[in-house]
Amino acid sequence: MSLFLQIIANGILLGGLYALMALGLALVWGVLNIVNLAHGAFIMLGAYVAFYLFTLLHLDPFAALPLCMASLFVFGYCLQRYVLNLIVRAPMFNTLLITFGFDVVLTYLAQITFSADFRVVNPSYAGANFTLFGVTLPLVRVLAFAMALALTLAVWLILARTPVGRAVRACAQNLLAARLYGVDPRTVYGLTFGLGAALAGAAGDLYAVVSQINPYIGDPLTAKSFAISIIGGLENPLGVVVGGLFLGILESLTSLYVGSTYTDVVSFGVLVLVLIARPQGLLGKTT
Amino acid sequence: MKRAIAWLALSATVVMLPLVPWIAPPALIQFGTTTLLIATLAQAWNIIGGYTGYASFGNSVFYGIGGYGTAIAMVQFDLPFGVGILLGGALAVLFALLLGLPVLRLRGHYFAIATLALAEAMAGVVSNLDIAGRNIGLILPLRKDDVLFYELSLALVALATLIVYWISRSRFGFGLIAIREDEDAAAVMGVNTTLFKSLAFMLAGFLSALAGGVHAYWITFIDPVSAFDITLNVMMIIMAIFGGAGTVLGPLVGAVLLASISEVLATEISAMASLFFGLVIVVAVIFMPRGLADLARRFRSLGWRYFRENLRLHRL
Amino acid sequence: MKPILAVDHITKRFGGLVAVNDVSFDLQEGEILGLIGPNGAGKTTLVSLISGTIAPSTGKVVFQGAPIAHLPAFRRSRLGIGRTFQLMKPFLGLNVLDNVAVGALFGTGGGRSQLHRARDEAAYWLEFVGLDHRAQQRADELGGPDRKRLELAKALAMNPRLLLLDEVMAGLHHGEIDEVVTVIQKLRSRGISVLLIEHVMKAIQSLSDRVLVLHHGNKIAEGPPQAVLSDPRVVDAYLGSRHK
Repeated sequence: MSLFLQIIANGILLGGLYALMALGLALVWGVLNIVNLAHGAFIMLGAYVAFYLFTLLHLDPFAALPLCMASLFVFGYCLQRYVLNLIVRAPMFNTLLITFGFDVVLTYLAQITFSADFRVVNPSYAGANFTLFGVTLPLVRVLAFAMALALTLAVWLILARTPVGRAVRACAQNLLAARLYGVDPRTVYGLTFGLGAALAGAAGDLYAVVSQINPYIGDPLTAKSFAISIIGGLENPLGVVVGGLFLGILESLTSLYVGSTYTDVVSFGVLVLVLIARPQGLLGKTT
Repeated sequence: MKRAIAWLALSATVVMLPLVPWIAPPALIQFGTTTLLIATLAQAWNIIGGYTGYASFGNSVFYGIGGYGTAIAMVQFDLPFGVGILLGGALAVLFALLLGLPVLRLRGHYFAIATLALAEAMAGVVSNLDIAGRNIGLILPLRKDDVLFYELSLALVALATLIVYWISRSRFGFGLIAIREDEDAAAVMGVNTTLFKSLAFMLAGFLSALAGGVHAYWITFIDPVSAFDITLNVMMIIMAIFGGAGTVLGPLVGAVLLASISEVLATEISAMASLFFGLVIVVAVIFMPRGLADLARRFRSLGWRYFRENLRLHRL
Repeated sequence: MKPILAVDHITKRFGGLVAVNDVSFDLQEGEILGLIGPNGAGKTTLVSLISGTIAPSTGKVVFQGAPIAHLPAFRRSRLGIGRTFQLMKPFLGLNVLDNVAVGALFGTGGGRSQLHRARDEAAYWLEFVGLDHRAQQRADELGGPDRKRLELAKALAMNPRLLLLDEVMAGLHHGEIDEVVTVIQKLRSRGISVLLIEHVMKAIQSLSDRVLVLHHGNKIAEGPPQAVLSDPRVVDAYLGSRHK
């Protein structure tokens, strides 16, 4: 029984991080209607930023979060403002294709620059853990989980309560009307996409602490983010929390009962099943 | 007059191509084989993506299934190559049928994502199968005959192109185009959309699988990473689109052009090629999203403004 | 005489919204039945239920004596139900001739299998609707009235026994309306039954043998045009129609 609880706990901790990963994708998809196939590559880049900050400057990964987010924000903003904006009004397929292109380019640039070796970020407290109700919780995972949830809530608050958030949501609803109200869509698009990238960067930073990274982690993480976004529905940013926890627990169970080499298959499989069975997500509304 | 010249050029090429191995250096023959195989993939994609309008981002799954079908048949069951490759093809058709039915009900980007996920999942599944050699893969019997594989690949791409040509002039092809242009209207006009989509998907899968089988036997090796390589999708899609999706010769032109340029630029093939294709996608999608065929047609009237027009239409 | 089409207590719900509520009517062979009602009354939904684009929540549709409510759209087309779309759906990437050829290829009884025969038939129907001079033009180059002609030709090329016309005359001026009226009368003389959704009342009056009125998804009147159009309930529904 306690093994089962342990597995569930592992899944929950993982799930929180997954939720943060998916949040950036869901945001950009729901608000800008941009399906970003390079999302996982952004996560991967965030992880490497954290890795090099840790290895070269001995910067604690949690302290490095603002830097990871800032650097990826700038990257995402520029990519949107100067490249993606050029095809925003084209058929959706073009966006898929171009972000697919980004994904490929970023992955191989990473391979050439960082090499294909597995890396890990190991702060001094990496081995520490504490026990709760007979369940062992590694400190870093708990911290990552807490950070992830905090960021998710923060984003939700920003979107729901602040003027900037309102501008973003206005653009999502009706571009023309938003323009008439003095909102410059190019800036808003850039900011939103930048925010999505920043969230991916944060997720990457945290991921580097709890797992090994290499240039190829992007694609499975993109698939997981998709699955989570679709499960949670694109209506509400908090839906990714539901989706993330679901996938995290599912992966954890798979790891124990089926085999750890099957976890990626399960993620992709879940994505396909969700797409087929319920494209609007568990929480979404049926049209 | 122009048409006569075009036909002459085409006929000359068709006659010349099988003769290449006797006059070319080995490196060129190998380049030719690789290009012909990827051209087959592009042409196969053309059937489901170009003509039917269902842009699959995961046709590499059929390539991998074909390769593994061939490898398993030859390595685990001592069957000859001819049988193996047909088995691989049959497996791919079955896969396309069973998984196509639910997945083809999805439209647009959902379909793209689903096919991509399928391709990624398959790699994971295969790497867990003992019969497929798990992560290590399989080593196929050695057949050192570059000329044979060149001719086989040439035959494959010819087969694929003939099929696409037939599609472009048949009732089946008209149905596919109608589905692409407006699926609801096509259904109302009597097109059995479910059947036609499935057939197109199975056809694309079969051809891709044959290419995978030839490739596996040629390099005598298969493993999950190389067999289900996601970047193959990048290449086949951009080649088909760049040359002109929904045309008979477009994917071939795209394949030959892009493969040649990539070869000239690349020092280290695998990494650089992907980089190159990624960049080509980005540039092409921005400036010439409808491919060379459309560019050729409209350049005469619009000139360089063609590129500006595409920007103007699609930018924010 | 058995009706070519019998709609029996058909209802369609979209979540909480009832678009069509318990509607029943018959359409006799060779008849032209007008279907009118204010915007949002459910007319297009009703037509979609008959053509098979959507499935009913409850109720039956019987065509030529056989129930068809479970059949997908393409099968109904092959049985002989043709329809035009209010929001026209031409195959934009094809030229006008090929647009119509699709109908000839897949129409009643499976259509023609040979491309050139289908194109010949398409050419015939293009001439019938007056569009043959544009046969080689791409469909996306056509203006509004020509698109409507194309829409009609596409439906006709399928050799329908029952034709569902959804506002074919919207946006046309008087001369064009008269042309379309003539075409529809020519169809009736070939034995094709027509269900005609229209807002152009003069066309409804001159063409329809009977008129059906929908309001908020309910059938509120049915009968000869003169009677229906002067029915106070119908007038009310249109909120002070000019056709008192």
